[in-house]
Amino acid sequence: MKRLALLTLAVALCACGTVPRTTDLLDQTRTDYRAAQNNPSVAQYATVEMTQAGHAMDLANAASDHAESADRIDKLAYLAKQQIAVTQEAAKQKSAEALIASSVKERDRMRLAQRTNEADTAKSDTAQANLVARAAVDEAALAQHRTDEALRANREAQARSAQLEAQLADLSAKQTARGLVITLGDVLFAVDVARLNSAGMQTAQKLADVLQQNPKRSVSIEGYTDSTGTAEHNQELSERRAGAVRGALQGMGVADSRVSARGYGQSNPVASNDTSQNRQLNRRVEIVLSDEGGKFTQR
Amino acid sequence: MTSDSGIRWAALLAFSALWAAGCTSMKTPATASVAVSAAAVDSAAGAGGAEYAPGEMNSARDKMALANKAMAAKDYRLANDLAVQAQADATLAQSKANSAKAKTAADALQDDIRILREELDRARK
Repeated sequence: MKRLALLTLAVALCACGTVPRTTDLLDQTRTDYRAAQNNPSVAQYATVEMTQAGHAMDLANAASDHAESADRIDKLAYLAKQQIAVTQEAAKQKSAEALIASSVKERDRMRLAQRTNEADTAKSDTAQANLVARAAVDEAALAQHRTDEALRANREAQARSAQLEAQLADLSAKQTARGLVITLGDVLFAVDVARLNSAGMQTAQKLADVLQQNPKRSVSIEGYTDSTGTAEHNQELSERRAGAVRGALQGMGVADSRVSARGYGQSNPVASNDTSQNRQLNRRVEIVLSDEGGKFTQR
Repeated sequence: MTSDSGIRWAALLAFSALWAAGCTSMKTPATASVAVSAAAVDSAAGAGGAEYAPGEMNSARDKMALANKAMAAKDYRLANDLAVQAQADATLAQSKANSAKAKTAADALQDDIRILREELDRARK
């Protein structure tokens, strides 16, 4: 029994005293193992695989410590080496999967942002279209307004024109090459005097009314006489009579700038001066009405 | 003395019995190892091991073939060793295939994100 115990002890001591045997593969495996230990993503993602690699490494190290055969050590080292590689791959896989998870979130967030952008763009397009449509409506309303204005102005012009025609008819105005001409006959003046009688004043008042209602028109007042007497006298008389009409109109509130007066003496008779009736026709004041722009057609 | 020699004989007998048992029982773990390894190789092949880790896959298949040969030759110890190594190779092949596929997917997503970011940046300009 003692010898057996001693033998066992000797075997045990012998085992303890053995010099560890290593191989190239084991050395390489130990290097791989340390690299795995130092890899943070292994610590984060592959703890189970690392534990298995640790067991395999322990077995290989134990075989080395016990100086087992190189073949036996290499077998165990190989298994450990492959398990360490599996651990590294598992860590890679898990970190890629973690990246996938965060990427999917990021991608979804960006897709949402993109759709929001698209919606905003569409909204802004719609707003733009609305703006354009509204502008078109405004434009149409404005055009309608202009048309209405033009029609109204036209109607007013027509009304004014109709009114003017009626008033001018009352004044016995005649349409001539020079435009509308109102002739104030000799009977409206006192004989050989440049002063309008009451009938003449009434006619002048009618003319002043026409001018007030047609503020753009002006008048040219032309005085004429018959051939009786000297030309100088007739010239002077025609000027005074034209001036008398102008004075009357000014007295009735027609602006000075709208009335011009000129005497033509015995020139431009409307009839021969051989009968007293014809001479009376020649003694006259013609009032030429300008167009709407205040312009006269020159004689 | 008699008691001593008796014990020695008993020890010898027990040792022999254990040795014999060890020898015969090697057949069972070897059979199990080969079966497990075959499953591991199939699984790795199904995961795309041949595509992503051709070295490990070939090694695993070669060792499986050798393990089966050793089984036929009733060299169960060798069959077991080869089967265990084949399994380690197959497991590594599968791990490599899985991590490569995950990396491909992650890269594709990163590309998507990059393109989306460019589109967003363009849209904001």
